[in-house]
Order: sequence, then structure tokens, then C-alpha cells
Amino acid sequence: MLTIDALKDFGADTSEGVTRCMGNEAFYLKLVKTVPDEPNFKRLSDAISAGDMETAFEAAHALKGIVANLSLKPIYEPVSELTEKLRAKQKGDYAGMLNEVMKQKERLTQMCAE
Amino acid sequence: MITKFKKTENRRRLVLIVDDEYVNRELLGYILNDDYDLLYAENGKEALKMIRENSQALSLVLLDLFMPEMNGFELLEVLREDEELKGIPVIVLTSEKSAEVKSLKLGAADFIKKPYDVPEVILARVFRIIELSEDKLIIQETERDALTGLYNKQFFYKYAQHINRYHNKDKQMDYVVVNIDNFHLINEIYGRQFGDELLKFIAVSFRKFLIDVYGIACRVEADTFYMYCEHQESYEGLLEQIINVLTEITKTRIRLRMGIYDRQDQELEDEIKFDYAKLACNRIKGNFATSIAYYDMELHKSQIYSQRLINDIHEAIEQKQLMVFYQPKYGITTDEPQLRSAEALIRWRHPELGMISPGAFIPLFEENGLIQLLDDYVWKEAAAQIRAWKDKFGVTLPVSVNVSRIDIYDPNLKDNLLQIVEKNGLTTKDLYLEVTESAYAEDAGRLIEVVEELRRCGFKIEMDDFGSGYSSLNMLSTLPIDVLKLDMKFVRNMLEDSKSYRLIEIIMDIAKYLAVPVVAEGVEVEEQLKLLKQVGCEIIQGYYFSKPVPPEEFEKFFE
Repeated sequence: MLTIDALKDFGADTSEGVTRCMGNEAFYLKLVKTVPDEPNFKRLSDAISAGDMETAFEAAHALKGIVANLSLKPIYEPVSELTEKLRAKQKGDYAGMLNEVMKQKERLTQMCAE
Repeated sequence: MITKFKKTENRRRLVLIVDDEYVNRELLGYILNDDYDLLYAENGKEALKMIRENSQALSLVLLDLFMPEMNGFELLEVLREDEELKGIPVIVLTSEKSAEVKSLKLGAADFIKKPYDVPEVILARVFRIIELSEDKLIIQETERDALTGLYNKQFFYKYAQHINRYHNKDKQMDYVVVNIDNFHLINEIYGRQFGDELLKFIAVSFRKFLIDVYGIACRVEADTFYMYCEHQESYEGLLEQIINVLTEITKTRIRLRMGIYDRQDQELEDEIKFDYAKLACNRIKGNFATSIAYYDMELHKSQIYSQRLINDIHEAIEQKQLMVFYQPKYGITTDEPQLRSAEALIRWRHPELGMISPGAFIPLFEENGLIQLLDDYVWKEAAAQIRAWKDKFGVTLPVSVNVSRIDIYDPNLKDNLLQIVEKNGLTTKDLYLEVTESAYAEDAGRLIEVVEELRRCGFKIEMDDFGSGYSSLNMLSTLPIDVLKLDMKFVRNMLEDSKSYRLIEIIMDIAKYLAVPVVAEGVEVEEQLKLLKQVGCEIIQGYYFSKPVPPEEFEKFFE
């Protein structure tokens, strides 16, 4: 079962996230649990594979908004970096950055499944 | 802090949350759920549909910018262009600093940053924006005239003051009054709805005018508009433009009158300056040659003169400065003209201004109701005079006195007249009551009622100035009158103008039909008398016999 402590260990700023949820931990956890199923992860990786940088940006931007609101720092940081690169249309190691995002997402998915 | 906001709220407001991300919607919903009723939309298109469906109930939209289907910017644009929807406040949800200016330009009321701030801040912002927009709505509703959307008078003066204080220190400003001629007739002929459309159109014209010209406008009452704007060399163009379009819509020539006060007089209050502009506007009422009048020295002097007369009238009555003159009326059906009655006419000998012509004060007092005092004064004087002559010469000479329109509305009219008659030991047959034709036309129902009651008491009713008003032939047949008095104009012109003569003939026919005698006023020469006699006029009044004279002088007519 996903817990606040587990999320803290994961690196999330749970106190900030819970505050945003009016102090309701259960509601916070409920929202966090929806993140692994967030379709924008797949949309992001598909777009990067296809070289569709515009769609990639949209997906990254959307993900960034979600994980920021939930203070999921380990995902937020690589997603944020990716978003800014895509926004600036810079050339870069998108596959590597995507990899980091997906790795952190996988960690969260594991925790949710436990 | 949260509770503080809750306490002031009684009604739950409806808020729409628009975001394509489930987590973001849920989070905001969770924060707002205790205080607001909520709707959710996942994109701009869905949001627009909900906004349209709930446009009257919706207090606020919380709007994400980046969404599929229709994004937040696109939605803002649609809302801004829609008259019905543009009043609903929108708070934009964004993490992008650069999006803020663009959103503001598109009409967003505020921002909520992503990631969201602490809930208290979000609640405070939501509360504040709803409050602001509701306050704005209330102010708009109370400061605007519902029909035209222009300011109402009260707020108009307030904004005018504001302009004076902060904006126009060096600018010369004009005070403009605009009025529609005979607006009640337009309403009557075309219907009220049409009249309203005209008023709205005029309001739109002012608004357009005020885009280029610094100023404000309001509707003061029914068909009167005020405009306060920077000085214009001419208003001909504006007036012409409005009239042209109105004429096109109505297919008749609508006439607008404009009165302007453009003098530089810082001492006077705005209200007074508008009163002066209105005075100028009223001065050209019925004058078809001109549509624009400025308040000038001449008007200023005449107004001061009028005010002086108003101030002095009470004292004039007390000090008997008012005198009643009498003009004889002669019957001409016999070989020798016979004295039949007299008309009482008022004169004012002012201690400083000298002899004042009734033309200078009667219309003035008719306008403000003071005429009632004058009428009452004349009734009493005339009744006492009839009595005095009766005592001295043993004959009762009936005297005609004026009954003004405003007297008709006095519930004590009948009792007062009866009392006057009784006090002087006269009968109601001795006092003739003159009512002008135009009074009949204005409120026929009420007037006929009163006049009938007076006739039942025995008073004789003379319709004065017949032919100058606008009685319909239909109304004439039901009028309770005993005598028709021909309007002086006809007699004056009858010798030169065949039309006037012809009209006299027609009026004589009407009198015959009504079976009432006709009195002709203003007869000056024998030729007029002869002609009038020929067409069947029975009674003559005018300089031919005598001008109005003081009672002592009148006595010679008894001999």
C-alpha cells in the first residue's frame, strides 16, 4: 500500500503536496496513485521516438504540471528539464532524459503496486 | 483565513474548473468544494458549452491554457467577443510567466500559478475575483439606465465631478441637453417599444460621438439626455447625423432640440449649468427654425427677471400691486350693441419694474403653478366688483375669469368658487369660467369631469382661444361648454387673409352644431364687426369698444 513515508523515501515533498490537498493525506495518496496511469507518459515517449517535438513538448508540459502539483520531485526534475529543452527546441539527448523520467515513473509505479 | 471567507458568503456560487488533467481538476475541486458548487470541463470546447448553458449562474471560470480541442487562449477570445459571456470572470491557471500578459489582454481577471499555491491563497483569489465582479455588476446596474445603458443622473453628476477634479483642469467643457420634440406623440403613434428603440439609438449615437470626444452622457428622464464633454465648435454635425438616421428609421422627420451651456463659469455647480442648458433647450421648443440653442446673456437676463417675478409675486398680492382690469363684451344681434358682460384681466404694477405685461408673467406662473394664486386673486376681486356694481347700478354684469389648467386638479376648486360667489351674495350664473382649448386637449377626461361638475352648480363655461388648440371634432361633440371664444388670431387676420375668414365661418358652423354662442375677441375695426355679425357671431370684445380698463373707468359703460 502506498504511504506517505514511502513517498518521502521516494524523494517527494509530501508536506507540500499534502498541504495542497488541504492537509488530507488520503486524498493526496489517491491523486498520486493516478500518476502511473497518466497517458501523457506514453504520449511523450511515442512522440520522442517519432521525432514529433511539438507533441512531446505538450505531453511533457502536461506531466510537469501534474507532478509539480503533487510535489513528486524525482519525476518533476527530469520532466521539467525535458520540457524546457523541448520548448527551446534545443537539440539534446532526449532519449536519455526520457529514460530518466520513465525510470522514476517506474519506481512510483512499483510503490503503488506494493 | 478560510473560515473568514466563508462567513461572508451566504449563497454558494457556481465555479467551472477547466483543465485537461485529472489531477489538476481534482486538486482544485477539492480545495473549492466546501465553499462552491463546481462544474468540470476537460477542454475549451466542452467548457464553452457549459459556460453557455450556465451563463446566468456561473460566477467564475478557472481556466488552464494548454488543452486539446480548444485551448485556453481560444476560449478567452470567444468569451471576450460574446456580449452575454464576457462579464463572467476568468482566472487563468498557468505555470508560464509569458502567458500572463497575453491572458490579461484577452480579458483574464487574475492568475493562479502552477504548481498551485497553498489552498488559502487560491480560495482568497477566487473569493476576491467573484466579489469584484459582482460588485462591478451591481455598480453597473445601479449607475446605468437600464434601457439605454447610459449613466443615470446621479452617477453622471458624480463622474462629471470626477472629471472636473482630476481630468479637465485646462479643458473647456460643454453642458449639453438633448430632448426629443413631442416624444409622447411618437410613443403614441408608433408604440412604446418603438419609442424605446429611438432612445436606444440616440444613446448609441452619443457613445459613438464620445469615442473621439472626451466626455460622458446620461439619460435624465424619459426623452432627455445630458452630455458633458469637451468644448465643441459646433454640434450641428452630431445633431444632423442623429436626425438623419432617426428620420430614415421612422420615415418622418423627428426633431431633436439641443441646449448648450458653454460659458466658463467655475463658480456654478454642474447641476445649475445643466439647468441653464435645459432652459436654452426649452426656449426653442416649438420653434422649428432652430434646433440648437446656447445659454447666453439674453437668456440669463430673462431668467433673472423671471426669478424676480417669482420672488415678488406673494408680496404683490399682499400689497395689491395686482390690479384687475375689465374689458366689456357687447352683444351685436340687436341694432344697437348692448353691454352683456366683461372679462377680468390682470395687470401688475410693480413698484420698481413698473407696469408688467401679463404676457411676461402669466406663462411663467402657468409653468410653475403660481398661476393658481393669481387666478384665485382675480376670482375674488371680480366677484367683489360684480357685487359693487350691482349695488351701485342695480344691474348684475357677469364677468369672465380665467380657470387655468392647474386649477382643474385642485380638489377644492368647486368649493372655493362657490364660497366666493356666496360671500358676495351672487349666483353661479354671474361668474363665467374661461378654460383654454389646449387644456381640454391635454387631459380631456379629467377636465370634462370637473367642468361638468361646475356646470351642474350653475357656472357657465367658456372655451377660450378656440381654434388654437388641437381638439378633435369627435371630442368637441362631447364637450360640456356654454360659449366658444374665437381665438384672437382669426379675427386679427380675417380682413387680409381669406383662410382666417373661412375658418371663422367653419367655427361658426361648429358653434351652431353645438348650439352655443360665439364670442369674438380682438375686434378693432368696424369692418371686422360687420363681417362677424354677418357670419352669425353674437358677442364682440375688443378695442373697437374699449381696451381693458380699471373698474372706475369701466363704470361709464353702465351709463
